[in-house]
Amino acid sequence: MSFFHLRLFALLLMVLEWTRPGLSSPLRPICDLRVLDHFIKEAWDAEAAMRACKDACSIATNFTAPLTRVDFDVWEAMNIEEQAQEVQSGLHVLNETISSLQASNQTDVLQSHIDASISNIASIRQVLRSLSIPEYVPPASGGEDKEMQNVSSISELFQVHINFLRGKVRLLLANAPVCHQGVS
Amino acid sequence: NYKSKIRRKKIFVLTCALCTLAQLLQDETEHIKCFVEGKDLTCFWEERNNLHHQYTFTYSYENKNKMACAVSSLLASNKTIFFCKLPKTPFFTTLDVQVLRDGRMLYTRSLNAENFLFLDPPRNLTVMSSGKEGQLNVSWLPPPLKYMDDSMIYEVRYAVEGSNMGKVEVVKVSTMLVLLGLQSDTRYKVWVRVKPDGVAYKGYWSAWTEPVFGVTPPSDVDPLIVLLVLFIGLILCLLSLTVILSHHKFLLKKLWPDIPTPEHKFPGLFTVYKGDFKEWMSQNNGSMWGRSVHVYTEELPSLLEVLSEVSRTSHDTSQREEEEEKESESSDSGLTDRWRDPPHAHWLMEQLRALQENPESRCQSSLLQSHDTYVTLNQGDNEQQVDDVFEETLPLQTLFTTTGTSSLSTSHSDLGSLQQSSGSGRLSSQSSFEYPNHTWAPKGPGYAYMAVADSGVSMDYRPMSSSRIAELGRHRMYTNDYKNEICPHKWPLSGQYIKSGSESCTGPVW
Repeated sequence: MSFFHLRLFALLLMVLEWTRPGLSSPLRPICDLRVLDHFIKEAWDAEAAMRACKDACSIATNFTAPLTRVDFDVWEAMNIEEQAQEVQSGLHVLNETISSLQASNQTDVLQSHIDASISNIASIRQVLRSLSIPEYVPPASGGEDKEMQNVSSISELFQVHINFLRGKVRLLLANAPVCHQGVS
Repeated sequence: NYKSKIRRKKIFVLTCALCTLAQLLQDETEHIKCFVEGKDLTCFWEERNNLHHQYTFTYSYENKNKMACAVSSLLASNKTIFFCKLPKTPFFTTLDVQVLRDGRMLYTRSLNAENFLFLDPPRNLTVMSSGKEGQLNVSWLPPPLKYMDDSMIYEVRYAVEGSNMGKVEVVKVSTMLVLLGLQSDTRYKVWVRVKPDGVAYKGYWSAWTEPVFGVTPPSDVDPLIVLLVLFIGLILCLLSLTVILSHHKFLLKKLWPDIPTPEHKFPGLFTVYKGDFKEWMSQNNGSMWGRSVHVYTEELPSLLEVLSEVSRTSHDTSQREEEEEKESESSDSGLTDRWRDPPHAHWLMEQLRALQENPESRCQSSLLQSHDTYVTLNQGDNEQQVDDVFEETLPLQTLFTTTGTSSLSTSHSDLGSLQQSSGSGRLSSQSSFEYPNHTWAPKGPGYAYMAVADSGVSMDYRPMSSSRIAELGRHRMYTNDYKNEICPHKWPLSGQYIKSGSESCTGPVW
């Protein structure tokens, strides 16, 4: 009788383990930069498309966008957490700003680029998660947010978008500690 | 002095870079041309006829405070190059640069520094033989730049030493390449250059490396194998030659068989009359009679048409009388035993004798009488047909009555023995030759048709003796050749004709 109960209990544990809700199993680290390069190529296409439509794509309101400038000396002096925070906050802001464009009336081609950019930002977040990069932490109330810039056109916004991906995001991924473990 | 040395060295390096870039930047439409070497951005512009103007170079990032840069100059052949270097340029941000001449805006430009990378050429280029024919292994190291190891593409150029015709191979990311399809045992020159791949960073092609030489391995055909192959090939050739020579006749016959032609049977038909048979017939009509009789095998009996029927009652009686006389005379002779009493025997003898003496006169001779059931074409008076008996029927009858003998080569004295040994009776009861009397004359010496109703008689179709066959072989027997000779002494003996060289009609060769 007790043996039967033990077996049933083990079976229940196994079933619960499979169907455990919430956190998924840790992702395999994506260290290959070709994954990010694919998103960068799509960001190039979006930037080129937005650059072509200057007048039709202008919007009255200003956008908030992250800073993309990279001073190598300054960057190399930052630790991984600081770099991660800068990248994650920038991605967060970009995501919000580009998502706000979805509501505006744009052409089908531009809309497809907007949708692709939002999707790619989400994928980049997954890649960072796979590398155990800390997630974005909104600043506490009263704390200073990361420095941002204002952009006045969609074309300028997508320039910021491509420069951010090529620069800070790529540098962070290239130097992820998980990908350099075991390498002296 | 130290600082001046450093400065001169920098200018020298810069000059080299400018010289390299000058060609690349020919198509650059911007007045201000910029490139990044390492982490430093250098911008330059060209001016002709330097009339001692004051040039000022200013720059600013993200529309912030403008900063000035010290302008240097280089004197070229017919122009002056002004340049300014910005150390540790920030990437992934917009840089605005302006050139002022005497305080006035001359040129302006906005650019991102990471798009104008001018990399150093690859290092440690090595070319080695892989051991395989027509292949060379090329490897190198990327220029020492952080964060860009996997963002570079390479171009490998190779050419035969001394030749200007080179080929180019593009290599992405990888720092080695195997050159294929090269000539064996040849010395090659190899160069490599590098450029950002254009995804994360953009820029210009670097300068070519110094050429490195490599020699391809010689063709790896083992001389021993070549010798063996040649030797085996030689042996095979000799063998085939021997076989061909030993059977050359057979092979020639198989490959190039003789086409049989009937030309010799028709003298002049193809040469003189060009195949016109009618013409040839009319010309050669007379000589046809002199043509020899041909012999063919017994498989092809000839079709004989019965022309008329002739009774031989008058001949029979005369024969009987002769035979009776002979019997009485030679009663003691051994021949009597051999002689039976065929009613036609003596008459046959007479006919044969007469035929041999005077062949032509018997053309109109009569036929044997038919006794059995067969079609008679001429129902006329048999008496009149007495003279129409053909001598040729007589030997045929003789043949039909003889079963034991085969050859015609019997002597005159043996005729009786032929008849005697058969004992099968007269032919006249079983076959006949009929010639319609009226049809003979108009046809003239045209055709002779004889129909033989073979109702059981044992016709002797035994082939002739080997000696005869050998003789015939020399004269080329044709089985399909039926000679319609009007001459009565055509002997369709067992379907065989004897060819002889005489012009006149000859009887059977006895």
